[in-house]
Amino acid sequence: MNLQIIGQMAVSGALMGMVYALIAYGFQLTYATSKSINFGQGELVMVSAFFSLTLLDLGVPFWLMVPGGLVFGALLGLLVERAGVRLALEEKSEGWVLLTIIIGLFFFSAAENIWGRDDRPFPSPFSPDSVQVFGVDITRQEIAVAVGVLAIMGLIEIFKRRTLLGKAFEAVSADRDAAELMGISATRTVMLSYALSGGVAAVAGILVSPITTVGPTMASALILKAFSVAVVAGLDSGFGVVLIGMALGALESLASFYIGSGWREAPGLMLLILALAVRPTGVFGKAGIRKV
Amino acid sequence: MKRLLLIRGAELALFALLATVPLLVANAYALALLTLLAIYGILLIGLDVTVGYLGQINLGHVAFLGLGAYAAGIGVTRFGLGMPSALAAATAVGLVLGSLLALPALRLEGPQFALATLSFTALSFTFLNEMEGLTGGAQGLSLTRPPLFGHDLSPQGFYWLCTVLLACVWMIMRNLLSSQWGRAIEALRDSPIATDAMGVGVYRHKVAAFALGSALGGLAGGLYAFNFQYLQPQSFVYDLMVILLMGVVLGGRKSLWGAFVGASIVVLLPNLLSNRLIFQAVSGLGLLMALVSGIRGLLRKTTRPFQALAPIVSMGLLVGGGLLVANTEDWRKGIFALMLFSVVVGLPEGLMGFAARFLVRLFRVAPAPLPAPSSLDEVLPSRPADGSTLLELIDLKRHFGGVKAVDGLSMTVRSGQIHGLIGPNGSGKSTVVNVISGLYPPSSGRMLLRGKPLPLGSLYRAARSGVARTFQNLQLFSELTAIENVLVALNGVYRSPLPLVLLGMARAEERHARADALALLELMGLKDQARTKAKDLTYGAQRFLEIARALARRPDLLILDEPAAGLAHPDVLQLIETIRRVHQRGISIILIEHHMDVVSELCTVVTVLDGGRVIAEGSPEDVKRHPKVVEAYLGQTDRDREAAAPDAPPLPA
Amino acid sequence: MKHHVVLGTLLMAALGIQAQGTVKIAITGPFTGGSAPMGASMRDGAKLAIAEINAAGGIQVGGKKMKIVAIERDDEAKNERGALIAQELAAMGDLSGVIGTVNTGVCMAGDRHLQEKGITKIITPAAGSASMTQWSKAGVKDLSIFRFAADDGIQTAMVVEEAINRKFTKVAIIYDSTNYGVSGRDDLLDQIRKQGNRLQVVAQEKFNIGDKDMTAQLLRAKAGGAQALLIWGIGPELAAVSNGEAKIGMKAPLIGGWTLSMSNFIDNAGKNGNGTLMPETFIEDPITPKAKAFIEGYHRTFNVGRIPSPVSAAQGYDAVYLFAAAVKQAQSTDTHRIKGALENLKEPVHGVIATWNHPFSKWNPANEQTHEAFRRDQVVMGMVMDGRVVFANAADKARLIKAASGKGK
Repeated sequence: MNLQIIGQMAVSGALMGMVYALIAYGFQLTYATSKSINFGQGELVMVSAFFSLTLLDLGVPFWLMVPGGLVFGALLGLLVERAGVRLALEEKSEGWVLLTIIIGLFFFSAAENIWGRDDRPFPSPFSPDSVQVFGVDITRQEIAVAVGVLAIMGLIEIFKRRTLLGKAFEAVSADRDAAELMGISATRTVMLSYALSGGVAAVAGILVSPITTVGPTMASALILKAFSVAVVAGLDSGFGVVLIGMALGALESLASFYIGSGWREAPGLMLLILALAVRPTGVFGKAGIRKV
Repeated sequence: MKRLLLIRGAELALFALLATVPLLVANAYALALLTLLAIYGILLIGLDVTVGYLGQINLGHVAFLGLGAYAAGIGVTRFGLGMPSALAAATAVGLVLGSLLALPALRLEGPQFALATLSFTALSFTFLNEMEGLTGGAQGLSLTRPPLFGHDLSPQGFYWLCTVLLACVWMIMRNLLSSQWGRAIEALRDSPIATDAMGVGVYRHKVAAFALGSALGGLAGGLYAFNFQYLQPQSFVYDLMVILLMGVVLGGRKSLWGAFVGASIVVLLPNLLSNRLIFQAVSGLGLLMALVSGIRGLLRKTTRPFQALAPIVSMGLLVGGGLLVANTEDWRKGIFALMLFSVVVGLPEGLMGFAARFLVRLFRVAPAPLPAPSSLDEVLPSRPADGSTLLELIDLKRHFGGVKAVDGLSMTVRSGQIHGLIGPNGSGKSTVVNVISGLYPPSSGRMLLRGKPLPLGSLYRAARSGVARTFQNLQLFSELTAIENVLVALNGVYRSPLPLVLLGMARAEERHARADALALLELMGLKDQARTKAKDLTYGAQRFLEIARALARRPDLLILDEPAAGLAHPDVLQLIETIRRVHQRGISIILIEHHMDVVSELCTVVTVLDGGRVIAEGSPEDVKRHPKVVEAYLGQTDRDREAAAPDAPPLPA
Repeated sequence: MKHHVVLGTLLMAALGIQAQGTVKIAITGPFTGGSAPMGASMRDGAKLAIAEINAAGGIQVGGKKMKIVAIERDDEAKNERGALIAQELAAMGDLSGVIGTVNTGVCMAGDRHLQEKGITKIITPAAGSASMTQWSKAGVKDLSIFRFAADDGIQTAMVVEEAINRKFTKVAIIYDSTNYGVSGRDDLLDQIRKQGNRLQVVAQEKFNIGDKDMTAQLLRAKAGGAQALLIWGIGPELAAVSNGEAKIGMKAPLIGGWTLSMSNFIDNAGKNGNGTLMPETFIEDPITPKAKAFIEGYHRTFNVGRIPSPVSAAQGYDAVYLFAAAVKQAQSTDTHRIKGALENLKEPVHGVIATWNHPFSKWNPANEQTHEAFRRDQVVMGMVMDGRVVFANAADKARLIKAASGKGK
């Protein structure tokens, strides 16, 4: 096979991987502060996408819809934190696993009944035509996704490093107890992380919708991939998710081509189990030493 | 006894009821639901091993259900197996693949374990879907239920088979989980490090637990195949897995009854909710219960406001929504979600956890009395202290990156001594202990116990060769009671092979073990708190429990890592007294301690470390006056030490 | 006193006992989840027909008019749920019949329970061949299961024929990894063989539900020189294939099953979907008065601008009318007698898809066609054009209009 075809597949897969990475980044945000993740994150992506679509249908211009969707996603994130996570964290139990799944299930049902069960197209300001870069076809939409993913992650990283609130976030991530002793409210910081994570989910929804279409099940396949990316990269790996996301996406494309499309996911899954066995804290995660 | 009778009685009543239902009710649908209930009961009991006892989020169980189902299905259609051999094949597939998956999954915990098992589910789906030649792929595999010993089973007959198997699984698991095995599995959930350090192999038990749970998944799969008689790979995916997980948690973890109740919920609820009337009755009742228990909890301040209000709001939504919505079938997922939400928030211990507390109060069942403690001479027979060389460390080094925590240390511990190990913070005391006990392998050097090399870098093997230790930062099995903590570590009592344990024929051994454990608790002054969970003990009591647990190993060498840290003065006095009594039984001790008075009081020899090297050794009085020791403790001018002990993170305290 | 009445009614409802003088039927299918657009459309089409029949007083049975009461069961496209629902329905003493099921796997898992009790079921819109061939393979003598959907055998025959007619020689088969897709692939390969191996299959490519990036599959097809993609799958993934083609500059048209006419394909593929061809039993185009009334009735009743799956809706609608005709002919609500009547419907039934003359006959295990309603000539070739499905061949349209005006009332 010639290089051009390999390049085409690697690039197409990797661009899809950027979306995994963005959702995975949402997992990282909440894991950093609270060691919990929202297993219903996919439903957050989906409901926010539907909400943004409704905004567009109501005639809200595109530039206003994006922040609108983002705020909506952040509010949902706060709801998840309040209803599903806080109690479990206070009791140091793992109840959040089930509660976040359950809340996701409720969002799913609500979306089915409010917006219908069908997949719908999501308009995009970018033309669906493709441009050629070194002989590889890429649509403008895909470029927008890549730029959007990096932009939102970059913004949040800057926020964490440059603002007082962001530094509180980092402090709680590093050592929750010590941060509390310094007068930083861990509860507020966890709320902030869930709001950010919800906002990231909404942005992911808006970015990916023109490609995936908007429907109740739009994110169910994405979310498992994103979870894989987050864990394999390391739940504290920051931009590591982008690399792992792109690698996984490209690997799937290539496996599909060379091994057979039915086995698309198999090599990735096996590598994943092996990677975890070798590096339990993730490829880019901080390896800890056993302490007593 | 009364408690045991009640529990056995309830179990008997349940199975008697299950067995007679088909005689009383002729409805085929009811029978179908009950059959599925029995199958799911087995499935969830298997899942509870990992989710409840190991405390891990296992997302791979559904794959074993599927693989077991296909093993049975292919066995029947391709190889003409009969029902017993097909079910055995299904169980074997679960067992073997479960052990295989346990190998990489072993090192993982939390989200990583969840992901590894989830990936296995996805892989097994791909495998079943793609191996069209073998499994029929997406088009499914149709099979007919083979006869059992030459008899074609009617639906009733098959139901009875499932019920009998459930009863067997129930009995076996009860015996296993209440045995040393069950305790070990729970122990490694709370502290894998301590489990290893107590000579109970984390590896072995984790693999065994996971493989056992998976084998039950496979067995349930075999029954599933014969129940539905049509298999498709897409049935065994994440969606079903989530439902199973909910079943276990809703029913109540670490409980056979819980698994059964969970199975009833996940089997019956979705199917009954289609009936609008039942839905309204259930939601109305739910709201009432949420209101009553919520308001009661608020008034008595036993529940947090959120815990009281959230179920009320959610059940209220359900009742209100139920009246507004024209077609409840459209909202079935939402309805299910609201109900689950109320239960998970309102009853975090699951329905059975809640019911158990309630029932105990209702029947005022006293726990079974403890046996009389064994004689201490029997538990810790006196040993002669001959002063021979017990432990020899020769030029031991342990480096963490550039930090030389232990840097060429040589020392000898003689049998029957209390050997003190002291030194300023960061002098390498704890690292020495961690290297001897096998937490870290040494970077170089030799360690000999009674002249034989000590296993390197394995807590488990070091413990097995006669070294027992306590931990400066407590590593108790916090969910286990005090006596259970000791039982886990108890060495040389449990001899019955696994099959006898499974059949419940190891009771005498268990009684003996309890008596022994109680003797050790008595030695530590904890006899009256034998049934208190370790996490509920006072800090001082927890320190003593650590020592009791280490003694249960009947060690040659006992290492006490700062046992007096954080103790109040009266407790320190008691500690000194207790250590002395332990010592009198001829057990050699290495004592790491900051309190100089404790050291002076107990130790015959003291080794002083600084910068990972020995700077002095001798009697407590001698080393106190040693100029290097004085300098190390008082003078902060030693350049070597500053270089050796920067505040680098890998140095454990 | 009043309480007792209320209680009594509740109890009766709880036990599933309906008031006398009604015909009780069950509608089953996936009403939630990924297959819901088809399941819910089918259900709503059926409910529309039931509402019409009841509004006209009901079905004339033995001197009195009986209303139809429908119970709904959501199988979530899960075999396990489907099997349990079938067992629940089979255990109901007073059920006259069952209409529905979208997923062939659910038929495979559940229908045997209905067949054991001889409960009449009309499968619609599940099209997989296996749901009927399982009975002929088993050699069942007396069958209570009917199908009211263009089975994959007919559809794949038309797809292959269309590809040959359009002078294609090299095709790729692209299908989803579910039962539906895989059995579609097998039927397509079978038809290519039957029609003289005039098409060379250059690639067989699979995709999973939820896949959005089809580049690898399409590149394989492109590398093989495929001139058309014969495709078997559902909704959004089909659109992803269409859009993927546009991305890599591939022009091969899609030809596939009727699911290509669903709005989740047409809307999401946009102009990339133009020229896509599929066999259809019903096109959402008010060409006949009956079709116009149906489409408008559906839009009004369920408050939508477009039917998510017009084929499912129309089939659900016509299935109810066929069933009602059988009840009327049997003069009974007994499911066994209704089965007998369905096998020999004497009067034509004017449906929205066609006028049905003797759609079923006595079951013959050697010939599944006896319990299949659709024949080749009730199915037309549709083509996607600017967001709508139009007749691919003008002759088909003319034929249907003529048939409606000739035989209609």
